[in-house]
Amino acid sequence: MVRSLFVFIFILSAFLSFDGIAQIPVPENGVESSEPTSYVLSNARIIVDAETTIGKGSLVIKDGRIVAVGKLVKHPAGSVVIDMKGKTIVPSFIETYSSIGLPDPSKTKWSPRPQLESKKEGAYYWNESIKPEVNAVTLFKSDQKASKEYQKMGFVVAATHVQDGIMRGAGPVVALGDVDSREAVIRSNAAAYFSLKKGSSRQTYPSSQMGSIALFRQAMYDAEYYKENKSCSPRNLSLEALNEQLNAPMIFEVEDKLEIFRARKIADEFDLNFTIVGAGNEFERINELAALEDQRLIIPIIFPDAYDVGDPYVARQISLGDLKEWELAPANPYFLRKKGIEFAITSKGHKKASDFWNHLHKSMENGLTREDAIRSLTSVPASILNISNDLGSLEEGKLASFSIFDKDPFEFKNAEIHESWSIGKQHVLKQEPLVDIRGKYRFSIDSSSYVIELKGQAEKPKGSLTAYKTTVDSSQTPPVEKLDTLKIKVDVTVERKNANFHFDVSDDYYDGVITLNGQYNQKINAFIGQGMLPSGRWIKWTGIQLEKPKDSNKEENGKVVIDTADIRKIWYPNMAYGFDTLPESQTYVLRNATLWTNEDAGIVEEGTVILKDGKIDFVGTGNYSIPADAITIDCKGKHITSGIIDEHSHIAISKGVNEGGQAVSAEVSIGDVVRSDDINIYRQLAGGVTTSHLLHGSANPIGGQSALIKLKWGYSPEEMLIDNAPKFIKFALGENVKQSNWGDFQTVRFPQTRMGVEQVFYDAFIRAKEYQEKWQNYNDLSPKKREMKGVKKPAKDLELESVWEVVNSERFISCHSYVQSEINMLMNVADSMGFTVNTFTHILEGYKVADKMVEHGAGGSTFSDWWAYKYEVQDAIPYNASLMNEQGVLTAINSDDAEMGRRLNQEAAKGIKYGGMTEEEAWKMVTLNPAKLLHLDDRMGSLKEGKDADIVVWSDNPLSIQARTLFVFVDGELLYSDEALGMHQQRIAEEKARIISAMLASNKRGEKKRTFKKEKKKHWHCDTLGEEAH
Amino acid sequence: MNRLLIILLLVSFSFGSLSQEKILLSRATVHTGNGIKINQGLVGIQDDKIILVENALTYSLDKEVWDTIIDLKGKHVYPAFFAPNSNLGLTEIDAVRATNDYDEVGAFNPHIRSLIAFNAESKVSATVKTNGVLYAQAAPTGGIISGSSSVMKLEAWNWEDAVVKADDGIHLNWPATLQGGGWWAEPAPKKKNKKYAEQVTRIEDFFKAARSYAKKHDEFDQRFDAMQEVFNGEKRLYIHANELKALIDAVDFSKEMEVQFPVIVGGYDAHLIARELIDAEIPVIIKGGHELPQNDDDPVDMQYRLPKMLKDAGVKFCIQSAGSMPTMNSRNIPFLAGTAMAYGLSEEEAIRSVSLSTAEILGVGDKVGSIEKGKLASLFVSEGDALDMRTNDVTMAMINGKFLNLTNHQIKLYEKYKEKYEEN
Repeated sequence: MVRSLFVFIFILSAFLSFDGIAQIPVPENGVESSEPTSYVLSNARIIVDAETTIGKGSLVIKDGRIVAVGKLVKHPAGSVVIDMKGKTIVPSFIETYSSIGLPDPSKTKWSPRPQLESKKEGAYYWNESIKPEVNAVTLFKSDQKASKEYQKMGFVVAATHVQDGIMRGAGPVVALGDVDSREAVIRSNAAAYFSLKKGSSRQTYPSSQMGSIALFRQAMYDAEYYKENKSCSPRNLSLEALNEQLNAPMIFEVEDKLEIFRARKIADEFDLNFTIVGAGNEFERINELAALEDQRLIIPIIFPDAYDVGDPYVARQISLGDLKEWELAPANPYFLRKKGIEFAITSKGHKKASDFWNHLHKSMENGLTREDAIRSLTSVPASILNISNDLGSLEEGKLASFSIFDKDPFEFKNAEIHESWSIGKQHVLKQEPLVDIRGKYRFSIDSSSYVIELKGQAEKPKGSLTAYKTTVDSSQTPPVEKLDTLKIKVDVTVERKNANFHFDVSDDYYDGVITLNGQYNQKINAFIGQGMLPSGRWIKWTGIQLEKPKDSNKEENGKVVIDTADIRKIWYPNMAYGFDTLPESQTYVLRNATLWTNEDAGIVEEGTVILKDGKIDFVGTGNYSIPADAITIDCKGKHITSGIIDEHSHIAISKGVNEGGQAVSAEVSIGDVVRSDDINIYRQLAGGVTTSHLLHGSANPIGGQSALIKLKWGYSPEEMLIDNAPKFIKFALGENVKQSNWGDFQTVRFPQTRMGVEQVFYDAFIRAKEYQEKWQNYNDLSPKKREMKGVKKPAKDLELESVWEVVNSERFISCHSYVQSEINMLMNVADSMGFTVNTFTHILEGYKVADKMVEHGAGGSTFSDWWAYKYEVQDAIPYNASLMNEQGVLTAINSDDAEMGRRLNQEAAKGIKYGGMTEEEAWKMVTLNPAKLLHLDDRMGSLKEGKDADIVVWSDNPLSIQARTLFVFVDGELLYSDEALGMHQQRIAEEKARIISAMLASNKRGEKKRTFKKEKKKHWHCDTLGEEAH
Repeated sequence: MNRLLIILLLVSFSFGSLSQEKILLSRATVHTGNGIKINQGLVGIQDDKIILVENALTYSLDKEVWDTIIDLKGKHVYPAFFAPNSNLGLTEIDAVRATNDYDEVGAFNPHIRSLIAFNAESKVSATVKTNGVLYAQAAPTGGIISGSSSVMKLEAWNWEDAVVKADDGIHLNWPATLQGGGWWAEPAPKKKNKKYAEQVTRIEDFFKAARSYAKKHDEFDQRFDAMQEVFNGEKRLYIHANELKALIDAVDFSKEMEVQFPVIVGGYDAHLIARELIDAEIPVIIKGGHELPQNDDDPVDMQYRLPKMLKDAGVKFCIQSAGSMPTMNSRNIPFLAGTAMAYGLSEEEAIRSVSLSTAEILGVGDKVGSIEKGKLASLFVSEGDALDMRTNDVTMAMINGKFLNLTNHQIKLYEKYKEKYEEN
């Protein structure tokens, strides 16, 4: 019922400005409780909103709402007036991302046996991580304890949801503080929440981020289908809830700047509007972010702490990427605002209010303006949650939820929060003492007097006194008298206007404890009272103030000073070897080199290559004119080739290379998770690689879609992906797909034998054909005929669409394979379905079936000499490439390994050693042949005019052990050079030294620090299984 | 095709038997392994020894003295290459546990001996020999002290026959200064190893106890007994350490414990403590170029340049196999030397780093490792430069004067299928 109300509330919220505060009467035990219903907070500095601050004004509250605000307001009859002299009233901050008042998601017990199907009973979606049906408001309980810290941060309003799963359900907006659960809910289903993390689900699928993305999309299509076919479908509570949430604010949590673009891609596909909860490192891709239209963010300000760099051995191992992030993260909000990106700030990640305020002030000192800070904590989150009518400022008619500080917290770092008001209810967070007794006094006690100093906080001062004692040194003749000065601690407690003093003294007058109690007279700044001497005698005493308290809290010290002069440059990527500014495509003339054309001309001595506008403009020895502004490089004695193409690579991938959760995962795509800040991009570029085929792993028979990228170091994933690239998909056979080497518990998933693998393929292809026919039937009919015949639009199935593309020869297979039996099997299956297996990759027994491969039309992409790593490679031989090549199989040599990818020229050269290829043949193994296998040979793979200017200049014959890369161009841009390497290294060393010394200074100031952690780099291979979707 | 010729030649020498014949390898480019290159070299062999190394241009050759003269004009002769710190002979297939015999249970296993598990008939070794790598140091791995390694010939009837030096040294895995990192499927951040000091103390305690045992003991202790030769210089102590701090501590430790022959294995940061290593006379077995830099910020060609950096600094070093599958990849050791050459070493220095330097560091340099008069005749012939993939073509090889049968499972399969296609 709540859900059906939801849409109604949502649409009408603009008119229902008073909902949630008009209370339903609750029977009371006794006479109705007596509470004031209206207040006037007068004499305050009021921050109405980011633009308006009233210097001295009043705020009038009635029945939980603001009824007036301004310099001159009418006091309603019977209202309680509270003098707020000197204080600042700040509208409640609004937390958009919390789980306050909700139970922790419960995790079922881990079992070594994989769980392939959902164990959740009921009319729910088939995957446990898709749970839009979770309705957090039904689970919500007011939690005063947890509220306290939020209130201290300034949040009296929060949206809350169960932080578990990919589709997490709806969450309410609630009032924080000592508010009864019955009164606390301001909006029931304010927003729906999403992420790419599977959370507590133990189901095997999804096991990767690309799997999460595919699952999200499939659920969206399923919801669409469900909506259109509701009458004839069994009810599904998950999809019903999801369909309702599409109209609500949708909040999507990510963990990295690159994931913002992944989430946005989903939003665009379904015409949705996600507000994305970022990770705090958005600045690292600021330009691409700014290019997204209307992309609102919620950003955390949990900046990384400085590392403990006291140990130089540890300090030297901290990566420059981590150091630069530490230095620039506090400027993240500034960078975003500078680009006009709108965001709300969340306290996410903060356990302590003091840390939150530290970080907020830090981000202001790094350029976030006061107005933007206020806006991002009040009006922006209100607008995100669609509650601007009720919250987000201190305007008339809005809910009376605000905080009171002793001074403006956006101007003073030492501002303290005193009260927070939640829907009209006052919470005192800090009880102010009635008197401030700090200062220096002379206490006259009976026959003696002491100078006492009271310092520290007004509500809990600390005291000390000075006493004198005469001692006689009788060892001297005559004995010498000496006056010792004694510093004695005084215990002080303040209670209303009275103070108790308590000290232990041993001087010329007393020996023992003196206890005093006195009342403080504010007008004359003096105490009068009684006390007890060590002897037990009661006396009267007075204390006269000698000096006012020294103001240790000088306002100047606490001022927030915004200074952006010192903000350093972002590098692209923001780590070692990153660029300040990306190199531009220029015109280069590379002269006098030996050209390995890979064309009919073969190897050409003393030739010239001209790169212009990202393309090869000229190749050869003939006449050419040097274009204007060209950069000419004399390459005498050097060799020039087209860039190396790695047919099988797993670098530059985020969060999982395998979606092994199911035997068929054709719906997932590496293209969704390309990671542009993998150092291996740069390392392989240094090895002459310019294009890589990023493959899904080999954990299942039908894996996922591949990505074809150029190694455009410094650019975004989107810019690295090759435009209009042919479509590829990974298939796999053998030990990995039957889980032979995964341990004794992995014996559940079908298939467990090579026999089963064949059936997985037949099943998938037949299902895909049926699927396609259904759509064909539907598409062939006019809308009118569809209605007449009752033909409905079929459900969209991302998996089968991709499999159908394979059957229909629109998507090419790159199939992980080892032994001849399975190779022949797949070719038979493909023949019977009428398509060709494009590439067998690894294909270590390809030499045994090369004739059959030629007949079928399959190519082979293999290792030069790997073997002995598992049973199925027992018959692997390094002569494989040569034998296949000789038989006419289109053959390539690949890496499948981040390290080997750096020296594929050497791997190609092994073709000469093992089986006697010619040098030109061997070189084509890593250039033209992979280009052909990847259907990219019209744009790369050889030195030919019009092809992409992906060019490598080598110091020597590229197949020689002596060969080193001197220049590497991608699309005509010089992205690596031997010379620049030295420059980079010096720059890295200087930047590291500079930031480490800044960190050391931070350590010395006693700022928070953390012990060093070094990210283990993810080097994927085919076999890598990642539980990366958690 | 050269290979076939040589095989025919071998048959005529009564293959396998130790001949009393005097054989002369004539007119090849001889790389002696100790830094010398003779363009027209003569290498004379009798029984298992090298009896002559001369320059053909200056030596007056009496052809009558030699029973067989093999003309190797245009070819290269190299000393046998070594695979130090290797699992060769101790494993066949990584993923098949039954074939793995290198990692024993327990933290302190100095008494564990690799040689008795050594498979003289290893199929992996057979593919390594054919590229010129004829010796391996079969080393156990795992634990804190993994056990004793032995230097082995890769061609033998059994492990007793294969031994060149039994129990040449004990392998100590120095604690890492950083720890964690999850496992390969679920990587996690590495952290400063808070137990580092404690772990180092534990090693110290073990060594102290082992040393005391040497002076006086009532009861026999297998572990301590195995340690004695580390202190008297009979065995080397191979300390596996990479990071700077670990290296500094390992050097101090070996001085303090009076370890006679410490050797650093790994030594990623060794160039940063060259002075200390030289002063303490500690050599380093470094990983070859087929290894990624350990940190994002490191020079992308760090591993390629390390040999030259150590050479310039004056540190004694040799090169071991590296990469994700170092055992199988031992056959690429010639190319690791080649890469070191491309990044600064001279050709002969590069050859030394996988032959004589290795033999010296492993304590067998007096017998093998170079082509010198009086040494065992362990060498190979390559049609071209053996350090380059294109020209490494080993057509003849011998260990202790005995010619090797240069074929293996892979070559047989190659020939079998080549024939299949030729028939069609």
